[in-house]
Amino acid sequence: MSAIVKCEHLVKSYGDLIAVNDVSFKVEKGEIFGLVGPNGAGKTTLIEMIEGLRTPDSGLIKALGLNPTKQGDELKERMGVLLQTTSIQPDIKVKEALKLFASFYQRTPDNTEELLRTLSLEDKAGSRFKKLSGGLKQRVAIALALVNDPEILFLDELTTGLDPQARRNMWDLVENIRTQDKTIFLTTHYMEEAEKLCDRVGIIDYGKIIALDTPRNLIDNLSAESKVTFNVEDKDIDASKFETIEAVSRVEKGKDGFILYTKDENVTLQELVRLADKQKFRLSNLRTESPSLDDVFLTVTGREMRE
Amino acid sequence: MKLRGLWQFALSEFKINLREPAMLFWAIAFPALWMGLFGAIFSEPMPGFEYEGLNYANFLFSGGIGLVILASAFIGMSTTLATYRETGVLKRLRVTPLKTSTLTLGFTLSQIIFIALGVIVLFVIGKIFFNVQVLGSWAALIGVTIFGMVTFLALGSAIGSVAKSPRVANVISMIIFMPMIFLSDMFMPISIFPSGLQPICKALPLTPLNKVLRDIVYGVPLDELWQLGIMAGWLIFGIVITLKFFKWE
Repeated sequence: MSAIVKCEHLVKSYGDLIAVNDVSFKVEKGEIFGLVGPNGAGKTTLIEMIEGLRTPDSGLIKALGLNPTKQGDELKERMGVLLQTTSIQPDIKVKEALKLFASFYQRTPDNTEELLRTLSLEDKAGSRFKKLSGGLKQRVAIALALVNDPEILFLDELTTGLDPQARRNMWDLVENIRTQDKTIFLTTHYMEEAEKLCDRVGIIDYGKIIALDTPRNLIDNLSAESKVTFNVEDKDIDASKFETIEAVSRVEKGKDGFILYTKDENVTLQELVRLADKQKFRLSNLRTESPSLDDVFLTVTGREMRE
Repeated sequence: MKLRGLWQFALSEFKINLREPAMLFWAIAFPALWMGLFGAIFSEPMPGFEYEGLNYANFLFSGGIGLVILASAFIGMSTTLATYRETGVLKRLRVTPLKTSTLTLGFTLSQIIFIALGVIVLFVIGKIFFNVQVLGSWAALIGVTIFGMVTFLALGSAIGSVAKSPRVANVISMIIFMPMIFLSDMFMPISIFPSGLQPICKALPLTPLNKVLRDIVYGVPLDELWQLGIMAGWLIFGIVITLKFFKWE
């Protein structure tokens, strides 16, 4: 694998505010790389420096092997961008916009119809941009980012401001784009989104990357425990019965039933079911809760994610 | 491809202008209404009419061209530029390979098409109702119209760059537009104003444009072409201010 984006010791300040503070990382070819962090953490500044919109105060950036500041023209031909608060001409029609943006590039596959189809925009081809809903506007923005069949796609705050349904649609779209052998660099302040979409996640806070790994590893390294929650029907069982179950470290009995804290929810579940079978009691409302990236953020920063 | 991008951009902007009711009113309908109204009320020219014995409607037609240019290039461009900056359109264009020069030329080309439309509508209505005629050279008329357009595009861009928001850009350009059409020898001679005001009238960018266009329409010798130099000064002023204040976002 080769690095598609490489950043070394990037620094960018606005007056007294250090927006990006000595950041280094690599994005590998074909992966979905996510930058997660609260608003104002420096995500947009960082991504816009890689796109060539902002010049770093110091440090080195290579995107597709190019310097975004000095070789921006070539980079622009080969990248696709969705800006954070992007807009196009309010009165332009969807299909016109696709044709217009396609005309800016040297290499343009004639893919207007195909993009309208893959992004389910066929019905809206003749609609004006300003009349579209937030989710549809965002889909148009993705279509525009894809007109030049880019090697790398930058998606800044892809789903901010979208309703849950539209957000899920966006996730499906990104999964779909991933299969086309493109590298995707995205930013988000939804941990759930990063966990679902990204191969690797960098957690950024106050301009610094404070953790960077696969979502799985980030969570596993926490050595946080999962919770197994359930009720027992028709029978009075003492909490101590569950303490001997494998991997369980602690048992609580709350008003919602029992909570088992476990290092290995699989083993614990299997044993629990076996125990219920043997002792003839019925389990109900059985559910498990695994640690998530939210817990990772809480652990590495010592606070909840600010919104 | 550079040329394809230029043409597509110009075409999109032209179509967008056609979808904007305010633009259609001020640049297409208003000049025609103005010509029709004055043409109907004043079948006789005002006292002091400089082209004695010639068709008064020609005078209104040449002035109407200036109105089309002002509405489209000046008011339209200032508002469009501020809108595109505020809504992030410019920023979005900036991450494509579209060059700044192509963007500038694209806006200019779309204005040429839109203003041509406005002038053609004006001429056809004038021809049908008031027997308007261009007695001088059409080539000169087109050339001076384009020069006037470029001048007001530069001034419109300057306002669009300086103004904080689209609304402010629109208000500033309207505030300049309104008195200017009265002070620029468009339908009342400058000589009726107080003598202190007259040099200001003559220094306005619209005054020389009106004068030269009128001379061309009436086919009289163009011995006041030097006045285009006043416009050139405003053109340079507009470009300098735009370059100084223009921001992508």
